[in-house]
Amino acid sequence: MSKEEDTKATRRTTRSSSAAVLRDSGEIKKKCGPHIPTFNDLVFGEDNISKEDLLSNFPGRHTQILELLNLLGPLNSPMLPLFVYGGTSTGKTSVILQIFRHLNRPFVYSSCRTCYSLRTLFESILNQLLLHEKDADNGYLSAKRCEKTSDFVNSLREALVKVVKTLQGNPGKIGTKKLTGQGHGHMIYLIFDNLELVRDWDKSSSILPFLFNLHEVLNMNEVGFLFISNTSPDTYYSNMGYLDPIPVYFSEYTEDDLRKIFIRNQTNQEMYSSFLSVVLGPFYRITRHVNELSIAFSSLYKTYCEASDDLNDVPNESSKRARFSRFQPHISPALNQIFKISSPPSEVNNLKEAKRKAGSKKFGGCDSSEHLDFHMSTSAKYLLLSAFLASRNPATLDASLFDSTGGSSSRKRKKRPSEKSIEQKEICEQELLMKGPGTFPLERLLAIFQCITSVAEISLEDDQGNVAMDSQNEDSELMSDVLLQLSSLCNANFVVKGGSCPLEGSTRYRSTVSEDMALKVARSIKFPLSKYMYRR
Amino acid sequence: MAPSAATLVEAPLQSTVENIETNFQPFYVLHKASSRKNSRKSNLCGKSRKRTKLSPSGPNGIENLDNEEPDGSQLEHLRMECLELVWSKLETTIKDVLRDTNVQVFDDISRWVYESFAAIRSSGTPSSSSATRPFPTFTRAECKVLFTGLVLTKNMEVVDDLLTFEELGFHLKSHGCHVASLSSQELSAKSSIGGCIRSLLRQLLKVTVDAADMFILASWYREQGYYEKPVVVIVEDIERCCGSVLSDFIIMLSEWVVKIPIILIMGVATTIDAPANVLRSNALQQLCASKFILGSPAERMEAVVEAVLLRHCCMFSIGHKVAVFLRKYFLNQDGTLTSFIRAMKIACVQHFSMEPLSFMLARLLVEEENMDGNCASFLEVLPKHASDLLSDSRYSLVEGTDNNLGNILSELKRWRKKWSIVVLCLYQVGKFGKVQLLDLLCEALDPQFFKPLTSENSSRLQQEQGTSFSSSYELPYQFSSRKDGYIYQVVRKVRDLPAEFLHQLLMSWEKITGCVPEIHQNVKDLLLAFKLGNGKSSEKDIADLSKRHASRNGLFVKNSKPIMEKTESFLNSLVREHMRPVECIPFHELICFKDVRKLQLALIGDPRRRIQVDLLEFQKIIKCTCCSENMNSLLPCAHDSTIMYSLAQEHGDLINLHDWFQSFKRVISHPQAKGNHRTKQCSTPKKRKDKPTVERKSNASIQARFCTAVTELQIAGLLRMPSKRRPDYVQRVAFGL
Repeated sequence: MSKEEDTKATRRTTRSSSAAVLRDSGEIKKKCGPHIPTFNDLVFGEDNISKEDLLSNFPGRHTQILELLNLLGPLNSPMLPLFVYGGTSTGKTSVILQIFRHLNRPFVYSSCRTCYSLRTLFESILNQLLLHEKDADNGYLSAKRCEKTSDFVNSLREALVKVVKTLQGNPGKIGTKKLTGQGHGHMIYLIFDNLELVRDWDKSSSILPFLFNLHEVLNMNEVGFLFISNTSPDTYYSNMGYLDPIPVYFSEYTEDDLRKIFIRNQTNQEMYSSFLSVVLGPFYRITRHVNELSIAFSSLYKTYCEASDDLNDVPNESSKRARFSRFQPHISPALNQIFKISSPPSEVNNLKEAKRKAGSKKFGGCDSSEHLDFHMSTSAKYLLLSAFLASRNPATLDASLFDSTGGSSSRKRKKRPSEKSIEQKEICEQELLMKGPGTFPLERLLAIFQCITSVAEISLEDDQGNVAMDSQNEDSELMSDVLLQLSSLCNANFVVKGGSCPLEGSTRYRSTVSEDMALKVARSIKFPLSKYMYRR
Repeated sequence: MAPSAATLVEAPLQSTVENIETNFQPFYVLHKASSRKNSRKSNLCGKSRKRTKLSPSGPNGIENLDNEEPDGSQLEHLRMECLELVWSKLETTIKDVLRDTNVQVFDDISRWVYESFAAIRSSGTPSSSSATRPFPTFTRAECKVLFTGLVLTKNMEVVDDLLTFEELGFHLKSHGCHVASLSSQELSAKSSIGGCIRSLLRQLLKVTVDAADMFILASWYREQGYYEKPVVVIVEDIERCCGSVLSDFIIMLSEWVVKIPIILIMGVATTIDAPANVLRSNALQQLCASKFILGSPAERMEAVVEAVLLRHCCMFSIGHKVAVFLRKYFLNQDGTLTSFIRAMKIACVQHFSMEPLSFMLARLLVEEENMDGNCASFLEVLPKHASDLLSDSRYSLVEGTDNNLGNILSELKRWRKKWSIVVLCLYQVGKFGKVQLLDLLCEALDPQFFKPLTSENSSRLQQEQGTSFSSSYELPYQFSSRKDGYIYQVVRKVRDLPAEFLHQLLMSWEKITGCVPEIHQNVKDLLLAFKLGNGKSSEKDIADLSKRHASRNGLFVKNSKPIMEKTESFLNSLVREHMRPVECIPFHELICFKDVRKLQLALIGDPRRRIQVDLLEFQKIIKCTCCSENMNSLLPCAHDSTIMYSLAQEHGDLINLHDWFQSFKRVISHPQAKGNHRTKQCSTPKKRKDKPTVERKSNASIQARFCTAVTELQIAGLLRMPSKRRPDYVQRVAFGL
């Protein structure tokens, strides 16, 4: 029993007493009183589970769980750092957290996603160790401000020593704090989740070795390290003179594993298993991520149930087949669907929706609606088209496409292609496909813009003669704030810009619109786009 | 019906109106409450009385003012006050209209927010103590989805929608959500996730923390009452955000969504697949998206135009050319309402600053608001002066009318009422045929169509109508719509309307024409005839029709044929009689803004062209004698950059630097220029004055000036510096001219 422990205890009592005072005076207007962090927060907290439950909760993860339990060892045994890796949603985080729930040992968890920078990571770890919680009373400040790795090592060591002493302190004292079950032991584990994100931080090259080396720097046997990452250790190690952590690999789930996972916790087991037998096969070929699958399945299962509602519930062969034939058309669109957009019922939208339904329903493929469904000014439309043309057509053809005849001459220039040239063309075509839309300088874009607007103006006047007045000005009007239009096109992600200043020569643009979109735009202003497109 | 109610409403206001010359504001504010329809209806009965009062009698307390001759500044002051009055009215009208257009969608959104909140809650809320634990809670993956509302703004430009999202924020806040909004700057690559969270904390917690993280938000949410309110995060325009930052942000939020019920609302400016283009797929799969559609800019524009130019009682109107310009500007250049409103404001300001008699608008306004008219006295201040101005040559006087101010104004008002009714009636028909209001308006304002009546036309007209015209000068003119014009289309359209639409149309007409009894009567007759024509079928059947009119259409064709013709001829006569473009009305200058050049100049600055023109025609700006005298030769006293730019005109796209320098040098050290040394002082650059007497400028100084000028041209965006490939050439950036 040390002084620190005493002070800690007193601090805790003062805090809890102050909270009690608060509660007594009836000042708690908030639904939930302030949460006072205790040592209990370092363990998982909920009632712990048996090993059998643990194993049955994670079908397909038996070997990994047993391996991890082995590596963690019995109570109070020191360990080497572990490196747990495997693809996304293969159960790394949940398995580890549930293992700690089973073992009932204290740990500090920090995800590098939530802690998005070095400072937040350090401070989050220290806050947990020091049982500090940010709230309105302390102005949402951390227990310690810590930005540098050296500071962190010192503070961490201090905090860890304190915690370990508490853990080693007599179990009777802990017992008064209503810690149930067997003791926690005096090991504390630091878990770093989503470690792969650290690689994108600034100074990641020094942070990663630091984290991996932390075990040796601290040189405390009572601290265990676990790193969780979805990329393999090869992507981190740089031979910086630290001991390689012990790798634990979480493999992808097999189809059987997935079936077991999904069948768990289902009310209507038989129904669901017949559903899975239909669905899992095709989906397994696309993704094995439990997350993605469960989102896709939850909506599909609803339609599956609807499809079989009127059939009798006894799943015999014939009804199964009938159900399958009814359900089958839903599968393939769901396979392509990344992202589903529903539109909530509304009085106003209903009318519009009815019209638009065809277009928006099968999102993911091309939008089948004929019209452009958002507003763009005419000059922006022309600019978009010229950007599209500049990206698609080779620059050498500009002169022939946009001469005074307005592109019609390009038709005549077609030659009968020879065998060899066809072959060459195919190679070129593939090359262009790989390259994607080309880049172009601002001048070329503006030149094309000027050409197509001047051509279009004539046709525009023919179409609607009532805007005949001051037609000379029209051209210049379309032209006048073209740079402004360009910047708004860039903002809308239709044109991508590289470089900084548009007046320096270095800037090149690239149009990212699809051909469908460009055709739609062209149709809305009655522009003969196909005439100007160079077909290879 | 209306009059009694209207007087009741207006009566208590009169005392406040007494001191109106000192302060407009209370008058205006008080009147905002009374509905527009009321005041309009009340005008009908008040008109006769008003006209008698309009004679310059100068009532209470203004006599002293009347005696002294008002000077220009006083007039100007009046005009400015009037401008303020008119513009503030217009502005509030526009705001109201915009709010009305959005209110339905906003309600939908807030309902959806609460539905999603309930959905999150139903999937199990973790205990409040575990909310701040750093490790994730275990739930099924379905619970980790982030409910996302995609709000389609349907406009590539986001300027209009910034206001919309702000109002959406207020709306949701008033419905009890925690609301924070993130702009695209906060979601840029530069500020990264830390910036987003910091901004969230700043808006929700009202604190600025330098180490911002989600733990703070979680513990704040617990303090605020755990799971009582949803937290709504609005991302204004998803296209402008940095995709990777937004994806990271979404993934992080989805990890926390069980602990903090966050609901995202994202504005999508272009197509619905924008999120799929911007976000990464692992972020995308966390979203459970619903879409909401805001009114398209064209719809909003129509609503605003209708409210401001047609329905609004303030008489300010625009001429044909201005309307055409605005329409073109909206379609071609800048499809935002913001720019339209700005254009209207500019038009207003220009009108009131240029038009000497424009202050009379205020009087019309006041009369409009206040049926008794006796409180409009403050504008009686200057009747004499006004009539002086009136007799000025700028107003084309019309014989046969006395140029009494009161008569003129009431005539204008009567015209305006009828004209706007006709346009509104046409617009109602046009709605069925997808004719845009702006197109209609442009045509309705075109003075070209208001032609002298040919004799055969007039006789036919009189036969048809059987009525005599009220005033003599209306007879020889009529509005003849073009065969391919929108108005003609619209009138033709009536013929093809199915019965149930016709009924709708007539009903809407009845509502519109309420304030002009003679037209109103006609509409009523038509409606009656329609009901009789459809004989047995009662109104309920008509309502039914919408469902099965396809099957019963055949039956109706026979019945409704005559009534359709009647309706069409009625519309025709309406157009002929009452459609008079504003520019054909005597004294329209009082209320109508016509100067399209001014507006154009203000809206389309065209800075690039301006720079080039100014460089070439610098004499017009500097106005020094030396250069104005001999326009076509370059003088050394001109500014370096203008000399350089004029010289550059002789080259093509590529300019050889050496040649350019040589010619520059020649101009600078031109022997003829020496004679003009004395006048050199007029030109601006200081450097040149340094050694005017030194005959030979050193090569170095010329070179320095050359370099400065080249740099200036480059900064102005006219030149591009030499590339590595051709170091001795600069390139002209020659777009825009």
